[in-house]
Amino acid sequence: MNTRPMQEATFLILTALATGSQHGYGIISEVAEISGGRVRLRAGTLYTALDRLRADELIEVDREEVVDNRLRRYYRLTPEGGRRLAAEAARLQANANAALKRLNPALGVI
Amino acid sequence: MTEMTSAPASSDLERGYRRLIACYPRSFRKDNGEEILTVLLATAQEGQRRPGLSESADLVKGAIRMRMGLSRTPRTVLYAVRLMYLGAVAELAVLITVILTAGHIRAAVQSALAAYHNPAVTAQVMHAVNIDLVVDKVVIPVVIVLWLFMAWANGKGYDWARIAAVCLFALSCVGLLIDLVQSVAKYAPAALISSGVTWVIGLAAVVLILLRQSGPYYVRRPATR
Repeated sequence: MNTRPMQEATFLILTALATGSQHGYGIISEVAEISGGRVRLRAGTLYTALDRLRADELIEVDREEVVDNRLRRYYRLTPEGGRRLAAEAARLQANANAALKRLNPALGVI
Repeated sequence: MTEMTSAPASSDLERGYRRLIACYPRSFRKDNGEEILTVLLATAQEGQRRPGLSESADLVKGAIRMRMGLSRTPRTVLYAVRLMYLGAVAELAVLITVILTAGHIRAAVQSALAAYHNPAVTAQVMHAVNIDLVVDKVVIPVVIVLWLFMAWANGKGYDWARIAAVCLFALSCVGLLIDLVQSVAKYAPAALISSGVTWVIGLAAVVLILLRQSGPYYVRRPATR
């Protein structure tokens, strides 16, 4: 059940959390940076994804802070979330390697 | 860590965002509403006075997904719920088949019995066939409602629904076994196939809701999803 390929937004959100906990705005910024500005998550999409990832126990709430009377909730990867991200990254890398190898056989293994 | 930019000070904008966040289920709003508002204000353009069209559409879409229970539901439960709907569709197909072929069934049985030239036996068997057909027409709609009800309740994450689904499946197994043992002869291949298909659907759905990944969804207090 868990071997199903991830959606890109899910992959990027988990990647954004791989280096440490982030709040909502931080995740949006990180995802934009990781994707070179190609993926700009909107709040509705982000929180729908965060809600699902929490339900699937891939992420969890790290801590909450109130800054300028506004709530900041920090999320972090769970050990299972880290494993899923690593597995998905390996899968994508294997596919990319295979594609590049076939496109240019002279390159050999990337 | 990325620093949050200063939010544009616009009470109109905040009110607009709050109206959109109000589309989400109450429990979700209570847990995430202020946080979403913070992010929306932080990502708003300088001088923006109203929520943009695309971000409004994104929030409404998110709210619809939440209300339909499409967000928090683990994939295992989601597949189980879909299978339960499939079970209802399969039963509906059986019901339609029974209704459409009732005349053919009666005619076929009558024709087979004609060879025996025994009006008493013919009347007795035809009476039994008619009762069977009436029972099917009453029982199958009830089964369809049960499939739909189980799909709805399991989709909502009610713990009792999982137990009820397992009990109903166990009951269907017992019923099927008794029928098979007592009267294998009365089962036509089509009836056996349809029973087998719905049994496999039920088995798959029950296995999915009993998987470890489904557990936390049921343990948690079901919210307005």
